[in-house]
Amino acid sequence: MSDPSTKILIALVRQLLAIDAALGNPDGADDSRAFRACDRLRSPLSKLIGIGGFRSLLSRALALAGEDVPWLRGLHINADGSVEGLETEVDPREFNKGELALMTEFVGLLVAFIGPALTLQFLLDICPTIPDTNL
Amino acid sequence: MKKKVPARQSPKKATPNHPGKVKIRQLPTGVRGLDEIVGGGLPEFSFNIIAGAPGCGKTTLAHQIMFANATPQKSALYFTVLGEPALKMLRYQQQYSFFDPAKLNSSVRFINLSDLVLEKDLGAVLEEIIREVKASKPSLVVVDSFRTVVRKALSGSGGEMELQGFVQRLALFLSSWQATTFLIGEYTDGELRDNPVFTVCDGLFWLTQNTERNSVVRKLQIMKLRGQDSVPGLHTVRITGDGLVGFSRTQGLTAQKDRPLKRRRLSTGIPELDQMMGGGILEGDSMLIAGPSGTGKSALATHFLAEGVRHGEPGIAAIFEERPKGYTARANSFGLDLHTPQKKGMLEMLYLRPLDLSVDEALQEILDAVNRIDAKRLVIDSLVGFEMALAPGFRQDFRESLYRMIAALTGVGVTILTTVEIEDSFTSFEFSHYTISFLTDDIVRLRYVEIDGQLRKIMVVVKMRGGNHSKDIREYVITDQGVVVIGPRQTDYVRLTSGLPERIGQSPPEPAPEPKARTRRIAV
Repeated sequence: MSDPSTKILIALVRQLLAIDAALGNPDGADDSRAFRACDRLRSPLSKLIGIGGFRSLLSRALALAGEDVPWLRGLHINADGSVEGLETEVDPREFNKGELALMTEFVGLLVAFIGPALTLQFLLDICPTIPDTNL
Repeated sequence: MKKKVPARQSPKKATPNHPGKVKIRQLPTGVRGLDEIVGGGLPEFSFNIIAGAPGCGKTTLAHQIMFANATPQKSALYFTVLGEPALKMLRYQQQYSFFDPAKLNSSVRFINLSDLVLEKDLGAVLEEIIREVKASKPSLVVVDSFRTVVRKALSGSGGEMELQGFVQRLALFLSSWQATTFLIGEYTDGELRDNPVFTVCDGLFWLTQNTERNSVVRKLQIMKLRGQDSVPGLHTVRITGDGLVGFSRTQGLTAQKDRPLKRRRLSTGIPELDQMMGGGILEGDSMLIAGPSGTGKSALATHFLAEGVRHGEPGIAAIFEERPKGYTARANSFGLDLHTPQKKGMLEMLYLRPLDLSVDEALQEILDAVNRIDAKRLVIDSLVGFEMALAPGFRQDFRESLYRMIAALTGVGVTILTTVEIEDSFTSFEFSHYTISFLTDDIVRLRYVEIDGQLRKIMVVVKMRGGNHSKDIREYVITDQGVVVIGPRQTDYVRLTSGLPERIGQSPPEPAPEPKARTRRIAV
């Protein structure tokens, strides 16, 4: 992503991930390797663009992120838009790096299609605690 | 026993304020010109269909209506169904000026039903719509594209009956929940008959897009609108950066000013011509200046505008053949300054976009300019250029359109001077190719005549609806002072209107108005 707003985008995604990490799993189960932020976006975004639309975007984001983070290439997107396929052990730091790359590409795709203003607005609707940044 | 027959009652005269009658509130369309076309606005709680072929502007129209009306208190739900992907729709629709991102999710919500339509039956689709509507209680609902729902129904075992039932239930539910609804669908003209969807709806907005030669013309027809008088017929529509703009075919005809009994006469800026016209053009008249190329029609028009400015009457020049800069420069060569009044807002030059214009759009632009500067005078230079600027489809109705245009403009009190180029014939004395003399109040004809080895110019006032006028045929020249009409001459000619007059008088010949070329003696 060579867009000048990439840094802001990464910062925004980091905050989104941090908020989700802090919230943890409501069931109390250990799912440190779950793509929680992705799951959080799935339902409201599917409502807007359909599960098919969400899946297409996430697949593209996964392909783009996989260029930088090789272990992401082993993942696939299920019919319901969830991420699956993490079978080998991945270092937690590597996992965080992968999740950040995936989410950054995903949000970047949203920005490319509908612009920064609408993307931020959707993210704020989904996660009102993230700061209102100028993407 | 004889039955008592109730006395016949005369029906009560229906008046808009009759007590007990439901008043249908009208919602603004958010589309310039469309409120006038639909008869004031969209009937609240109505169940409507926006139909037409792809690319006509159906989705844009729905978005405009939605963004114009949606508020946090009266929100809108936009269901997308297997049509344009929502992401793409948002990408493109946000390019229009009416798209307000701040309204998303607070006032406007998009819900994708594609997966449901693909996987389940119409009952499930209806259930989902009902669930969402009950949850957010919207005032406005859009289903885009409804056509895919129809296809789903028709491909199923229930067929047309299932579709009819679905539409009935949907209409009933949404109306009961006080939602004004728009179903968007790709339909062709052939699908109009016996369509159950069209039977149920209260309003049917039909958009078309026709290619004629190299021009594309979009039209809108209100085929049905229950409860109010919409303007019948085909109305021109253009898609601009502001979304759709509608041009009612009766535009301007509804707001007519009453003409005062005694009207002023406006000077043309050429005193001799004013005299010939009995004192000038009557205010609010339409005057036609007809003549061949080079006879000074535009010069006369420029005089008319400049004279108006001198008297504090703002003017507009709708020009089609020349760009404003050139027009202003040429006026300057006659000693008429059109530049300063343009800077001061006393004069506007409208150079209307050539080749795919409609008369209604031109009228709208002129009416806007009239309102902007409170114009009293208007020049249309020329009708031939105007016709050429129109999309081919509009040229067929040029006379009818001109009638509406001139009526609309004189109706708001503007005095119009129109020029028309005609080819001089040496057997007849035409006023225009268009047979439009019936719609102009005054006609001045210019033409060339051959006299004494020179091609000279003559003018004659042919018609003045508002009073008497001179019947003289007067010679004139165009100098660096503009059009100069020469006093009545003593020359005794007949058949001047033929262009090939014959001198029958005996009076001594008068000098030529402009110097003739000298005969050079060749030394032997």
